[in-house]
Amino acid sequence: MNLYKKHILPYARKYNKTILSTILLGTLTILSAAMLTFTSGYLISRTSERPENILLVYIPIVLVRTFGISRAVLRYVERLLGHNAVLKIIADMRVQLYHVLEPQALFIRSRFQTGDLLGALADDIEHLQDVYIRTLFPTVIGLFLFSFSVIVLAVYDWKFAIVMALLLAIVTFVYPMLSLYMMKKNQLQSKKLHSQLYNTMTEGIFGLRDWIISGRKEQFLSAFQKESQASHEIDKKLAYWQQSRTMQLQLFSGLIVLVVGLWAGQQAATGSLMPTYIAAFALVALPILEGMIPVSFAIERLPAYEASLQRIDNIHEQNTEKEHVAMELGHVDEVLIELDNVSYRYDSEEENAVQHISLAIKPGEKVAVLGKSGAGKSTLIQLLLGTIEPTSGHVHVNNEQATLYGDSMYEIMSVLNQKPYLFATTVENNMRLGDASASPEDVQRVAEKVGLYDYLQSLPKGLKTQMEETGQRFSGGERQRIALARILLKQTPVVILDEPTVGLDPVTEHSLVNVLHESLQDKTVVWITHHLMGMEKMDRIIFMDAGEILMDGSHEELLATNERYRQLYALDQGL
Amino acid sequence: MDKYLLQYKGSKQVMALIGLLTAVQSIAIVFQAIYLAKAITQLFQGADWSIALRSFVIFIIANSLRHMIQWAKERISYRFADMTARDYEQQLLKKIFDLGPQVVGKYGSGHLVTLGLEGVPKFKKYLELLIPRTLSMAIVPAVIVIYILTQDIMSGVTLILVMPILIVFLILIGMVSKKKIDEQMDTYRLLSRHFVDSLRGIVTLKYLGRSRAHEESIATVSNKYRIATNRSLRYAFLSSFSLDFFASLSVAVVAVELGLRLINGQMLLEPSLAILILAPEYFAPVRDLGNDFHATADGKDASEQIHNILEEETIVQAVVASPIAAWNKHSKLELRNIEVKIDEQTIFEGLNMQLQGFTKVGVIGHSGAGKSTLIDVLSGFTLPTGGSYALDGQEVPHLAIADWQSQIAYIPQHPTIFPDTVLGNIRFYEPDASLKEVQDAAERVGLDQLIATFPEGYDQRIGAGGRVLSGGEEQRIALARSLLQRRQILLFDEPTAHLDIETEHELKQMILPLLEDKLVVFATHRIHWMQEMDTIIVLDNGKVVETGSHEELLQQDGAYCRLLEARGKGHAV
Repeated sequence: MNLYKKHILPYARKYNKTILSTILLGTLTILSAAMLTFTSGYLISRTSERPENILLVYIPIVLVRTFGISRAVLRYVERLLGHNAVLKIIADMRVQLYHVLEPQALFIRSRFQTGDLLGALADDIEHLQDVYIRTLFPTVIGLFLFSFSVIVLAVYDWKFAIVMALLLAIVTFVYPMLSLYMMKKNQLQSKKLHSQLYNTMTEGIFGLRDWIISGRKEQFLSAFQKESQASHEIDKKLAYWQQSRTMQLQLFSGLIVLVVGLWAGQQAATGSLMPTYIAAFALVALPILEGMIPVSFAIERLPAYEASLQRIDNIHEQNTEKEHVAMELGHVDEVLIELDNVSYRYDSEEENAVQHISLAIKPGEKVAVLGKSGAGKSTLIQLLLGTIEPTSGHVHVNNEQATLYGDSMYEIMSVLNQKPYLFATTVENNMRLGDASASPEDVQRVAEKVGLYDYLQSLPKGLKTQMEETGQRFSGGERQRIALARILLKQTPVVILDEPTVGLDPVTEHSLVNVLHESLQDKTVVWITHHLMGMEKMDRIIFMDAGEILMDGSHEELLATNERYRQLYALDQGL
Repeated sequence: MDKYLLQYKGSKQVMALIGLLTAVQSIAIVFQAIYLAKAITQLFQGADWSIALRSFVIFIIANSLRHMIQWAKERISYRFADMTARDYEQQLLKKIFDLGPQVVGKYGSGHLVTLGLEGVPKFKKYLELLIPRTLSMAIVPAVIVIYILTQDIMSGVTLILVMPILIVFLILIGMVSKKKIDEQMDTYRLLSRHFVDSLRGIVTLKYLGRSRAHEESIATVSNKYRIATNRSLRYAFLSSFSLDFFASLSVAVVAVELGLRLINGQMLLEPSLAILILAPEYFAPVRDLGNDFHATADGKDASEQIHNILEEETIVQAVVASPIAAWNKHSKLELRNIEVKIDEQTIFEGLNMQLQGFTKVGVIGHSGAGKSTLIDVLSGFTLPTGGSYALDGQEVPHLAIADWQSQIAYIPQHPTIFPDTVLGNIRFYEPDASLKEVQDAAERVGLDQLIATFPEGYDQRIGAGGRVLSGGEEQRIALARSLLQRRQILLFDEPTAHLDIETEHELKQMILPLLEDKLVVFATHRIHWMQEMDTIIVLDNGKVVETGSHEELLQQDGAYCRLLEARGKGHAV
C-alpha cells in the first residue's frame, strides 16, 4: 500500500480534476444505459395505459432518444479523457524516473546487476497505466454507482435502501476483497512463473547451439515443458476463478432484479409508487449491476502491479540526491591532470580497485592505459572524471579537486566509450548532441574529419539519415565515427577513449585508430585500450595490473627495456 | 473464420458443443425476457405478488440457465485454448531446437523469446474467444430476432435492418481509422521509443554533459507523444463508438416505436416489454466482438507467426550407409564445390577444402568473408545449397549427422554461460563428470584461482542473476567444457578478438597444448594464431583465395600478405 501512496497517489492528486471528470463521465455512461432502460420501461408502461394525448409521453420519448445517443457519446469522451489523463501521468512519471536516474547514471550498471534494467523500467511505466485504466477508474465508478443507487432508493424507502446496500455490497466489496485475498498468492505465483519461464526460454534460445551439440536438447525441452505447464496451470486457475465469479455474480444479479421487482410491485400496491414505474425499476437493476461487477476484476489485479512499483521504488531508494555541483568555468584551453598517490576501494569490496596511483598528465599529452579486465582501468576513468572520490590521495584537475567540478567536468573532458549510444534520430542530430548550436559547416567539418562525409553524402538523405531506419544501417566502425564526430563538435581539451575499438575487425580497427590519432592531435588523450595498435604514436603507455601501475614509458622505451611488452607487441602484430 | 482452426485437435467437437450450448442459451435468453416481462406486467396490473413471484422464479431459472451455459461455454473454450496453446508451445520449442541456430539467425533471438512468451498467451486468448464469439454472433441474434418477429414484425424488421448498416459502418470506420493511424505510425513509433532511448543512452548523455537538460526534452516529447496518441485514439475509439451508438440508438427507436403502437392499441404491454428487454441482447454479441477486436487481431498475428515457424523445413539428419568412424589420424573429410546461399544471398560458392587427420587449419579473412558460415557448415548447422562431401571416402549429403556432430567441440567468441553453478557450467556437455574431473579441467585452463576466491567455490552461481564473469573468464569456462568432452574435432570461431591483449596472450599459451592430436579449425582475424596452424585458408567474399602454410603464404606475397600489411600499417610511420 505504501508503494501506491508513493508512486501512484501523488499523480492522482496532481491530475485530480481530469481523473475526477473521467470517473464522472464513466459513471454517467453507465447511468445513461440504465436511464435508457428506465425511461423506456416507463414509456412502455405509460403508453400501455393509452393516454389520450401523445404529448403526455412526449418527455419520456425525448429522454429515451437522448439516453440512446448520450451513452455512446459519453463513453467515447470518457475513454479519450481517461487516456489523456493517464498519458499526462505517464509523462510525469517518466520525467520523475529520469530525474532520479540521472544523478546515478554512471553507477546503474554496477548497482543493479540485471540485464536490461533500463528497458524493464520503461516497460514498468507503460504497465502502470493499467493501475488507472483498469483498476482505479472501474473501482471508483463502481463505488459511485453503489452510492448513487442507494441514495436514490433511500429517497423512496430508506429501509429497502439498507437492504439493497447490503446486497450490492456483496458485489462491490465482498467479492472484490475475496478475490484479492484468495487470488493474491496465485497472481504473484503466476508473475513469478512467467519471469522464470522467461529466463528459461532466454537460456534456451541463447544457448541453443550448446543444448544441441551437448545432446541435452530433450532434457531442456522437458525442463521447459515442466515449467511452462506449471505456468499454464496457474493461469488456468485464475481464469477459472474469474469465470466462476462472473457466473456467481450474474446469478446474484438475477436475484437482485427479483427483489427490486417485488419491492416495486409492493410499493405500487400500497400506492407509494406509480405502477408505471414498476417496469422502470425492475429493468434498471441489470445495467447498473453491469457497472459494479468489474470492480472484482479491478481489485484482483492489484498484486500484478507490485513488481513494477517495487522496481521503480528501488531506483528512488538508491537515489542519494547529492547536491548538484557545477563550477563556473571560463574557457579552458589547457588541462593539467594530477593524481597523487590515489587509492580507491568500492564499498562492497575488500581489495582496493586502484592503489597508490601517482600520475601527471600534461596538456596535449597522449597516454595509453593497458591492462586486463578488472585491473582498475574503469575506476581510473571515474576518478579522472571526479564521479567518485578517492579513498585516499588526491585527483587534481588544473589544481582543483576533480570531484568539485561536478557536471561541468564534461565541459573539459569527453568520453568515447566502447558502445557509445546513438539515439533514434538523424545522424546530424546525433552529432549535434555535442554542440546544439554548431553551424552546418561545423557539422560538415567534423563529418569530414572522421571520414564519414563522403559516405553520408552518398545516402539519399545525407546527414539527415535516420540511425536505424532499416535495421542496422551503420556498422560498428561507422557508429564509432559518428560518436567521435559528436565529441569533436564538443571541443573539449581532454578526450578519454574507453576501448572504442573492441569488437571491430582489424581493418576497421586500424582505420578508426588512424582517424582517432589524426582528429585528436591537439587534445589531451587518455586512451584505455585492449590492443596495442597505434601505441607507437602515444607519448606514454601505462600498464595496470591489480590496481597498480606496472609499467610506464613510451613505446620505444618499453620495446627496448621490457620483455613482456615486446612479447605482447609481437603477438598483436601477428608476427 | 481461421484456416488453421480445423487442424486443432478437438476443434470440431468444441465447435459442435458450443454451437449447441449457444442455441440453448439463446432460448434461455428469450425465456428470461418473456417471464421478466410477464412478472412486471402482472405487478403492473395489480396482481398479487405471489402470482408475480411464479413468473419471477421462471425468470430466475432461465437467467441462471443462461449464465451457467455461458460459464460452461467459457470453460470449454478455455480448456480447448489451453490445451491447444500448450501443444503449440511445445511444438514451437521443439521446432526451434530442430531447426537449430539458423532459425535464431533468421528470426532474431529476441523475437523468438517474445513469440514464445507473449505470442503464445495471445494465441491462447485468441483461440479462447474465436469459437464462442463467432458462434454467438451467428446464433444469438438470429434466435432473438425470430422470436421478436413472431411478436411484432415492425420491431423485428427495424433490428434486422440496423445490423447490416452497423456492420458496414464498422468496416468503413475501421478502414478510415486504420489509414489515419498508419499515417502517423512512424512519428508515433519514434516518439514512443524516445524514452527507452533516453534511458539506455543516459550514460552517453551524461558524458556529453547533456543529461540534465535532457529532462526537459523528455517532458516535451512525452507531451508530443500524448498529443499524437490522443489524435489516433480519436479514430481508434470511433469503431466502438459507432457500435455503441447504433446499438443503443436502435434500442431507443424500438422503444419509442413500441410506445407509439401501444398508444394506438396495436400492441400489448407484455410482448412490448419482452421486446424491449431483448433488444440490447440482440446487439450484445456484436459488441463483444468489437470489444475483443484488439485481442483477436493480436492473437491472430501471433498464430500466423507460430505457424510460419512450424512450417519451416527442418534439417533432416543425413542417412549414411556405413557408420561414421571416430576421427583419427587417417580420417579425411573432403568438401567439393560447396555453395551456401541464405535468403538468396550467396555466402560462399565454389569452396573446396580437405581436412585430414590431426591437422590444424586456420581460417582467416575480413569480417563478412564467411568464416562463421564455414564453421557452421562443418558442424552441420548450415546446409549447403550445392556441392558434395566425402567423409572417409563415403559420400554424404551434408554434415548434420549425429555421429559426426557428437565428435565436435565448439568454442565461439561469446560462449553461453548458463545461469547455473560453476560446476554445472563446466560439465554442461558431460553432466556425469565427477567433481574431480571438473577440478582438473578448471586447473588446466587456469580457472582454479578464480574459483578459489568464490565464497561458494564450485557451487557459486554464475551467468544471469549470478556472478558476472569477464570475457576471458567466460572463454576459460568454454575451454574447460571442451576439455571434459575429450572430443577429437575442435572448432573455434573468433575466440579471442574481443579480449585484451594480455588475456589473449595468457589464453593462447593455454590453448596451444590443447590443440595437439586433434582436428582443429580455427577461424579468426587475429593473425598471430596463424603461425601455429599447419594450413591456412584465406577467405575473401565467400571464396578461398589462398591455401598453404604460414611460410608458403608469406612467399606467395598474395592475399595473406595483404592482411598482414593491413595489420602492420597501423604501426608503420
